[in-house]
Amino acid sequence: MNFRQLAAGTLLIAAAGAAAAAPEAQALLAASDAIRNPGKPFSLTTTLVEYRNGKQVDANTLTVYSKADANSGQFRSLIRFVAPARDANKLMLKNGNDLWFFDPSSKASIRLSPQQRLLGQAANGDVVTVNLAKDYKAQIAAEENVLDGDRQNRRCYKLALAAVSADVTYHHIEMWLDASSSRPVKARFYTESGQLLKSAYYRRYQAQLGVERPTETVIIDGLDPNWVTVMRFADYAWREVPEAWLQRDYLPRFKPE
Amino acid sequence: MRILPLLLAAAALPALADDDAAALLLADKTANTAEQAGDWRVYTEAAVRESRPRGAGLARHGTRLSLDARLDTTLAPGWRAVLADRLDLNRADGASGNNDVNTLKEAYVSWQAQPDRIADFGRINARNGVALGYNPTDYFRVGALRSVVSLDPASLRENRLGSAMLRAQTLWEGGSLTALYSPKLGDRPSAAAFSPDLGATNARARWLMAFSQKLSDALNPQWLLSGGAGQSPQLGLNLTALPNDATVVHFEWSGGRSPSLAAQALISPDDTAFRSRLASGLTYTTPGNISLTAEYEYNGAGMGRSGWDALRRGSPAGYGLYRGYAANVQDPATRHNLFLYAFWQDALVKRLDVAAMVRHDLVDHSRLQWLEARYHWTRVDFALQTQLNTGAPGSNYGASADRRIWQALLRYFF
Repeated sequence: MNFRQLAAGTLLIAAAGAAAAAPEAQALLAASDAIRNPGKPFSLTTTLVEYRNGKQVDANTLTVYSKADANSGQFRSLIRFVAPARDANKLMLKNGNDLWFFDPSSKASIRLSPQQRLLGQAANGDVVTVNLAKDYKAQIAAEENVLDGDRQNRRCYKLALAAVSADVTYHHIEMWLDASSSRPVKARFYTESGQLLKSAYYRRYQAQLGVERPTETVIIDGLDPNWVTVMRFADYAWREVPEAWLQRDYLPRFKPE
Repeated sequence: MRILPLLLAAAALPALADDDAAALLLADKTANTAEQAGDWRVYTEAAVRESRPRGAGLARHGTRLSLDARLDTTLAPGWRAVLADRLDLNRADGASGNNDVNTLKEAYVSWQAQPDRIADFGRINARNGVALGYNPTDYFRVGALRSVVSLDPASLRENRLGSAMLRAQTLWEGGSLTALYSPKLGDRPSAAAFSPDLGATNARARWLMAFSQKLSDALNPQWLLSGGAGQSPQLGLNLTALPNDATVVHFEWSGGRSPSLAAQALISPDDTAFRSRLASGLTYTTPGNISLTAEYEYNGAGMGRSGWDALRRGSPAGYGLYRGYAANVQDPATRHNLFLYAFWQDALVKRLDVAAMVRHDLVDHSRLQWLEARYHWTRVDFALQTQLNTGAPGSNYGASADRRIWQALLRYFF
């Protein structure tokens, strides 16, 4: 085998590898989605604690009921504000880009745009469950060691995710998944112009609804790294969510158990 | 030389960026603060107010102490009870300003026979409409205001009387049907401090049907039909759309045969005709999370320019009757109005919310301007509000006795 044959062979193998990598990357992403998101309708409690320059500036507690759409695979969620007291029992519905806010005091159902944020740094889409594999095309960009959120050295696939449609919150994402388990380790979220919007660490893995899932996400703002939000997930439970509930007109009726 | 490979190996080890390490350290120290949902929401509010009249005259001062409670509890599986009440104790310069008003906003039970079938009975704030400044399809707004503590549309929606009714609703995937009947239970409003005031909200029998069906991800219209004793049925439509990630467009319309406001207020000859009421506009949210709303409001039963000018030049009694009637039914007094609203959450500093509102009368060019800055701690809100009424004498907003109002309030959530 001369040098030219060797080079051609190497290219062929590389090409075959690249062709095989694309579906594999997507499968890895889907596997990591399944770790973050239970496979059946469920409820959980989310607590968001927000820090600025090392000082706590806000805290919110929410109860979330989620159910995946049979066709799109995307989660639809009913959210009830638990704390602070001023927001207690206010409600939100997220069904794709159909976002509604309901205040039981005024009985006002107000439609929100995805850009309207009710919870400080967290985009409305962050509070609820998102299946990234449905909205992003993944490629393996690298295999490398990174420190995870628990400061453990971890062998990871670095995935490059590109938005499939324009109506998602982030244009592209870098995501590191544990090479052995597909667990999400960390992610960086970008705008179309390449501006870093936020970084996230997925950590505190615990057995929840039959799978080891991250029970904490640490979000660091891309422009101001001193702006940190800690999201904690607790009280996981399987929950029947009828389709008829996932609409604006059910918001006044929604009362979690 | 043996140290070089070690150094190289150390350099190859991954490390956290300083910012990331600091953030994770904060997360390590975060206590578990998950709170449990409660059935009650109770707050007390103290307010001081100064109003300055137009022209010469002394400023008047007033104070208010309020207690607002809302209970939403599960009585048994499928059974829910809601109680909402507010007490306002008002004190002002001169005895006429001293009045105590209790507003029994809601008191009803719900029975969810099935996950998608629900019946309610009692006093219910049945509110419809997607517009922000004026809601033509909010048919139960008539007579609902008993104690006005702020002109903020959110406050006007919250601090009002529900109507006694029986309501049933069935839901299916992407749609729902609601039917309600509200009987006549009284003749006239009551000024008694603790009156449930059913005479204000249930002075005649009324009914309403509402139907919504999602047609696509982008389109989910709601149709309403409302009627009652002494009125022709009114048809209503609510529609919203999302042209892009940052903008919501709303359209709210109600139409049917009805007399003009003037004919109803002044008991003048019946001029019943088909009349439309409309509020439509858009809300744009900037990347900095400032929401800006512009809304055009049309009241086909309100006064046009010539009628309005004539009324202003006519008898003060007739003018007063008309204004009072329009305020009671929560309709704009004139035909064309513009509503602008801005809301900035975390305005420059965290926990400071700023809201600004302009109501501009397009018929007489008078204007109401309102601004609020509200800072909130975990359980305490402090707000400063100011209102400025400008316009020619007798105009929609220029007629107010007060030109400038300041109000400071402190709210404590229990």
